[in-house]
Amino acid sequence: MLKLDNNLTTDSEIISFIVNGEPQKLRVEPQWTLQYVLQELLGLTGTKAFCTEGACGGCAVILDGRAILSCLTLAIECDRANIETIEGIAKAKHPLIEAYIKHSCMQCGYCTPGFIVTAKALLDKNPHPAENEIKEALAGNLCRCGTYPQHIKAIQEAACFLSGGAHG
Amino acid sequence: MDNLEKARMQEQFDNSRADKYPLTEDKINYIGKREVRRIDGYDKASGAAKYTLDISLPGMLYGRFLTSPYPHAKILSMDTSQAESYPGVRAVLRYDDPELPAEADLGGHEPSSVPPLPPIAYFQGQETGAFVVADTEEIAENALKLIQVQWEVRPFVLDPEEAAQPGAPLANPEASPDGNIEQQSTYYEKFGDIEKGLAEADRIIDFRFSQGLNTWIGPERPCGIFRWNGESPELWVKQQRPHICKRSVSTWFGGIPMNKIEIHCPYQGASFGGWSQMPWNMGGHFCSAIVSRRLGRPIKWIFSRREDFYGGQMDEGVYYFKVGFKNNGLITAIQARAIVTNQNLPVFGIVTHFFENTRIPHIYAKTETAKVNKGPNVPVRCEQVPNATCFTLAFNHVAEALGMDPVRIALLNDGAEGYDMQWLNEHKQKMGFPLRDSLQECITRGKQAIGWDAKWHAPGTRRLPNGKMHGLGFTWTHEWDDSGGTGEIAMYVERNDGTVTILGCRADCGQNGETAYCQIAADELGFRLEDVHFRNQIDAGFFTMTPDTSTNLVINGFTTRNAARALKHRILEVATGPRGKTQLTEFPPAFPGKTPEELDIKDSVIFEKANPANRLTMADLVGPSGAQGPLNSVAGEPVLSGKWGINYPLRHTPPIFEYAWQVQRGTFVVGTRLRLCRQAHFMEVEVDTETGEVDIIHMITVNDVGKVVNWDGAEGQQYGGAYMGIGRGRTEEVIYDKKSGVMLNGNLLNYKIPTVLDVGPIDTILVETGMGYGPNGMIGIGEDVATVVPALIAPAVFNAIGQWADEFPLTPARVLKLLEK
Repeated sequence: MLKLDNNLTTDSEIISFIVNGEPQKLRVEPQWTLQYVLQELLGLTGTKAFCTEGACGGCAVILDGRAILSCLTLAIECDRANIETIEGIAKAKHPLIEAYIKHSCMQCGYCTPGFIVTAKALLDKNPHPAENEIKEALAGNLCRCGTYPQHIKAIQEAACFLSGGAHG
Repeated sequence: MDNLEKARMQEQFDNSRADKYPLTEDKINYIGKREVRRIDGYDKASGAAKYTLDISLPGMLYGRFLTSPYPHAKILSMDTSQAESYPGVRAVLRYDDPELPAEADLGGHEPSSVPPLPPIAYFQGQETGAFVVADTEEIAENALKLIQVQWEVRPFVLDPEEAAQPGAPLANPEASPDGNIEQQSTYYEKFGDIEKGLAEADRIIDFRFSQGLNTWIGPERPCGIFRWNGESPELWVKQQRPHICKRSVSTWFGGIPMNKIEIHCPYQGASFGGWSQMPWNMGGHFCSAIVSRRLGRPIKWIFSRREDFYGGQMDEGVYYFKVGFKNNGLITAIQARAIVTNQNLPVFGIVTHFFENTRIPHIYAKTETAKVNKGPNVPVRCEQVPNATCFTLAFNHVAEALGMDPVRIALLNDGAEGYDMQWLNEHKQKMGFPLRDSLQECITRGKQAIGWDAKWHAPGTRRLPNGKMHGLGFTWTHEWDDSGGTGEIAMYVERNDGTVTILGCRADCGQNGETAYCQIAADELGFRLEDVHFRNQIDAGFFTMTPDTSTNLVINGFTTRNAARALKHRILEVATGPRGKTQLTEFPPAFPGKTPEELDIKDSVIFEKANPANRLTMADLVGPSGAQGPLNSVAGEPVLSGKWGINYPLRHTPPIFEYAWQVQRGTFVVGTRLRLCRQAHFMEVEVDTETGEVDIIHMITVNDVGKVVNWDGAEGQQYGGAYMGIGRGRTEEVIYDKKSGVMLNGNLLNYKIPTVLDVGPIDTILVETGMGYGPNGMIGIGEDVATVVPALIAPAVFNAIGQWADEFPLTPARVLKLLEK
């Protein structure tokens, strides 16, 4: 292994993927996680590393339509993938954002993006989730501040808005 | 600030009475309004919020610490040569570096004096011996593995009662060479005559319990960034007390003037006391400061996720109780002793709540502190946990012994400082508070919400159709937000749009306090809420109470109110006073011939009370900044033609700026302030007697917060505190291997904090008796629920299975042990 500039070695590889609708071409080390690349190379700091081992959901992103844990996903696995992060969801003005603010679903806010990404993936597949389906979807997201009850209200409201209703 | 406001502000420094000058109801638009949009909401929902861990500076390097693999060990020699030559490593700071002082003030609750990079570890995982700085965190971590250390491995002890035995291994022979019990730290609580109280009792019961170690676990790992700007330090702190950080830094390297130090306090990835109270929590900054100066580059130091698990809550220990009581339920005596571990602050007591909240006349406790080879224990939301746990267990044990409803026992014994409610009511009246029965109100609403009367049953008597045993639990204590502290806040009116900026450097840990303070300011000023903004993350002076030493709303509420009142007065003075004369023209008052008393402000518009059509927006009063144009005047002042024919209105108002402060002294000292507001919590459980699982199927939290400022924030502390309390009571325990002294579960897979599926519905009820010591009778809530709820699982499980928990947290294995399975 020979070290090159920018903390890269000769083992590094070039990947191309779409992030929040924008094509990206990056040289990455084989052991770099997607979370690391999003945060350090693309400056997308909304994708948080909380537990760093797949236990908390703080690093959730949507990869080809599925919510995945970017701290357990190697960046080189994401070649040609389509990735959506919290920044993309916010930029698209997804109703979850306003519903989360309205229902005060955050305290310290560190885990909040992971919850919203998980909720977005849920609503993409299940536009009218029942309460137990929402809870099941969020079961992998940890919130140390204990904001859980509000998420259910916010997700239900966003679902209502997406199906033509108004923010309540 | 005019003399009247100043006198009133200073009058309020007497913290032992009701607010004498509350804002009148007709002025209140935002205080207590529901669905107020939180000012941090979009940042946090959109991922835009920046935490220290997210910040990256040009040329920034990354620092990580070597940690001890042993629970007690001294470095005999260390070879860092391989680490130093690892590609991407820029420096390795060693414990024997000549620039490292023996000790420095490295943070903690109070000024400290500790080694920055110690050569001896007193717990496994302690940052010891070396600090590696590299291009990336990954490189630093890899380099740490290349450091060769020859350790002198020492004997260790983990259990407090074993540590107290003669001949036990010394946990810290340097600090405590004569034994692990710190004699000078033994804490006595004595009220009345305990022997008399026991003699007066019809019955006496004994019980013992042990509490395992739990900890805070902030989602954002401990970290910080240090940069030298020439001779001036600049820091980004993951700390809920930025002013303490600045104070520490000013003592380094022979002294650095405070006015050369710049602190940034970004969003905090949760903080519950914990890390921010730890001794040595500025060690990373100190080591970074040395290396940063040598390399001329900023350094971000970071802990690993596992490193954040060392250190914990002050309640770890063993407790023994003897309780005397009459057959009618009146408690006559509380006698207790405890051994707790690694207290890095003085013990805050284990029976103080009995004194503060009850008519129990005779109380005695002795609490010893044992050093063990685990991390330092500090207040973790909060230092009152031992008190609250003892309170919960003693009351419920008495109820069980008498076969009485625990709610009845609580109401019978409610009072203060050994006196009954009549005595307390007399004092409420003297202090100017309304005569409300806070506990009764909390209990009435809580019982109704959970269906207490219909569901209450004798212990171990109700098996459900699903085969599980049903149980109900109840606890109570007072509401608090009141230790010593100082708040300083400034406010100024921005040019151009006339909005108000609040300056008060403090950490945003998520309680939504900044929105609450904006609500208070907006109502006091007569402004629209959106025209008031709290800039808490910058160091412009005016350090105000952060979530530190248990104090926020009471102090900051007054500080905000006082500053806003002074600012409003100043605005109206400016609106009615002459605004100066230049060589070209003079600028008459915006409201000629009027006095401040004839004006008022509503919806951010100044108007004449007798003639509301005579009005002026704040933007028009203060005018533009800088080149002053091009804007049209609506205020009647001269408008000059610019050289391109543009109308240039000149306002010439002075900068409009005010400040205020609030001091609160000694209210944590027993007997200095009566506790008036109460809280009550109810838990319904189902216990699976085959697996030992305790399902919490419903919880009611009731808090008398005096007056609600921000509903979302207050309710958030209720259900959020309930989740944390349930985690502590049921699953959260940092486990150490008895043979090796190594922590076994320093990760979020094996240290179990609750998920959304782990707790049933939590209903929140806020009671407003107006009996808080803050402005308009308010009192904070942030620490309370998470502190009181942990032991509530014990009476609930007792009601289900008829056995008392004596070890916490009450895991399924411990429930099965109670069931002798």
